[in-house]
Amino acid sequence: MTNSALSLKSVHKSFDEAHIIRGVDLELFEGERHAVIGPNGAGKSTLFHLISGQLTPCKGTIKLQGQTIQGMSPQYINRKGLGRSFQITNIFRGLSVFENVQIAVSQRRGLQFTMWKLIDRIGRIKEETDELLEHVRLTTRRDTLAGELSYSEQRALEISMTLASDPQIILFDEPMAGMSHEETDYMIALIREVTKGRSLLIVEHDMDVVFSLSDRISVLVYGKLIATGTPEDIRNDPLVQEAYLGEGVGA
Amino acid sequence: MKKTNIIIIFVVLLFCLPAFLSHSLVNAVNQMLIAALFACAFNLVCGQGGMLSFGHSAYFGIGAFATLHAMGVMGAEGIMPTPFLPVAGALVGFSVGLIAGWFSTKRTGVYFSMITLALAELLHTVAPHLKGIFGGEAGLSGMRMPSLGISFGTDIHVYYLTLIWVLLAVGFLYFLTFTPFGRLVFALRDNSHRLRFLGYNVHRLGTMTFALSAMFAGLAGGLQVISIEASNYTVFDMHLSAEVVLNTYIGGVNVFIGPLLGAAVMTFMGNAFSDLTRNWLLYKGVIFILFMMFMPTGIVGFFQILFTIFRKYSLRILSPFLLLASIAALLLGFSTVYTVEMMQRVLSQDYQMLAQLAGANVWPAIVLFGREWFPGTGLFYVVPVFLFFSGLAALKLAIIKWHKIKDNDESGVSGATLPEKSGNDVSEQNCEFNAGEKV
Repeated sequence: MTNSALSLKSVHKSFDEAHIIRGVDLELFEGERHAVIGPNGAGKSTLFHLISGQLTPCKGTIKLQGQTIQGMSPQYINRKGLGRSFQITNIFRGLSVFENVQIAVSQRRGLQFTMWKLIDRIGRIKEETDELLEHVRLTTRRDTLAGELSYSEQRALEISMTLASDPQIILFDEPMAGMSHEETDYMIALIREVTKGRSLLIVEHDMDVVFSLSDRISVLVYGKLIATGTPEDIRNDPLVQEAYLGEGVGA
Repeated sequence: MKKTNIIIIFVVLLFCLPAFLSHSLVNAVNQMLIAALFACAFNLVCGQGGMLSFGHSAYFGIGAFATLHAMGVMGAEGIMPTPFLPVAGALVGFSVGLIAGWFSTKRTGVYFSMITLALAELLHTVAPHLKGIFGGEAGLSGMRMPSLGISFGTDIHVYYLTLIWVLLAVGFLYFLTFTPFGRLVFALRDNSHRLRFLGYNVHRLGTMTFALSAMFAGLAGGLQVISIEASNYTVFDMHLSAEVVLNTYIGGVNVFIGPLLGAAVMTFMGNAFSDLTRNWLLYKGVIFILFMMFMPTGIVGFFQILFTIFRKYSLRILSPFLLLASIAALLLGFSTVYTVEMMQRVLSQDYQMLAQLAGANVWPAIVLFGREWFPGTGLFYVVPVFLFFSGLAALKLAIIKWHKIKDNDESGVSGATLPEKSGNDVSEQNCEFNAGEKV
């Protein structure tokens, strides 16, 4: 648990006048499940965008398994082994559920410019895709257009696509938003299972999820981490209670 | 495997066509095939990739000139046997498409369209000055040489050459939609942002899509040159770029066969009507607007809707509605054509001159639809107005009929009914479509 999978050093990001991320230091150990919590507007999603390559930090360094990745393109970072999901569902709405995952799976197989094989005839891709769909319980919805799925099903699809590239480091941005209790429970179990041997950084508003799932928790308030520690530490941290849990969200 | 059967029958039919058709009609079909391939190539970028290119004439033209040079211009020796000449067009189209695509796919949406437009206009402006390559304003011409024991001297030979190339190219483009690359092109249209976070190089994918599209556009240009044995810089004109956009959308961009159908139908109508009227371009514009307003899914979408309602209701129930809709389409179409043609004739300089010669208050007769019309008489104005309003009335009745059909259906046992809104649209679209088609 001491090797660093992802490390952020004094990362800053501002949009014109607005200074959103004000010097974040964050260490994600290999194999740990690490949650980032914080009130709305704290910069959690921006932080994810900076790590995954959607945005470039103004200052600071981000290292993925020892390699500097800040300012690199999303596809480069993804190929280095980082997969992410999005807070606002980000799927191929006009394609079927199966095709969505199929596309996600194909990348690792180097099939981007394959024009002489029928994609549905490539057995191992079909197997992997079906396996992933089974995992997130979407097998029965296989041939439905992704845009026609219910909200929680779309979230599940989003997660299966994130997992499809077999990433070593996973970023989940509010994966449980809009899910029922039963679905959330299932998803917690699923996340536990699929993140075995991988490192997870998760943003989530559901405190039950956060405290039951995480090895460590970081609290982000106005672009700064005010605390990092085990769930127990965070629960008892007076600073956190004042800034965040004090608002009545308490676990 | 019904679909395969239809395709086979259609292909066999295409091969047999020259046996039934006159030379000029074979030529027309030849043009239709080329236009269909061009539209199909264009749709790889536009419909499948979701990038609206406004400059595809550039690649058609580049392919045309490349093929011409391979054929040998101004008596020069050709470098390839005639049947393989279009390969030159395809290869050069691909190379130029790779460069142009690299620049244009850096941006999306309107910016992409503007870059493609600018690149094509650039070529259009520069081409007349590059005499060696594009032959200046006069253009270049060549000659098909006999090859592989075939003379390529007749339209029939050219037709078969075109047909085989078009079938190969369209077949490949169709196959492509089922390959990993083809699937990614669809994904590119749907959500390029997500593709990036799945590790795909979106820019490279877009460039490749564009280059492939340019390649087949170049092939189409090459086929045209083989047919007419000449080309000049006007092939880079905006007009051709616009035409392929119109044809593709009229056919329907969402289905593979749409652009093929749109281009074939519009090219055929262009051939057939340009002798009958000077206003074909105007009608074409009207047809396009009607499609975009009432049937954005194009000809294919129209047939899909027809198919759906025919499967749902019996012909007996539908026939009054279809009859009314057809009458409405005929009347509206006729009054539109009458108005357009009369205005063009009355306002033409020739006619103004005639009228002046004839003296005050005398309007010479105009011949249209095989009879004489006198602009001075009331009938001249009453006819189109009357037809137009009876057309509107028929349309209204058709819509009412349609609602009745639907209401009866809903009160019956059938559970699956078209929603209110779309049902309404169907009848309107139906009529408007016909109105456009008939002009």
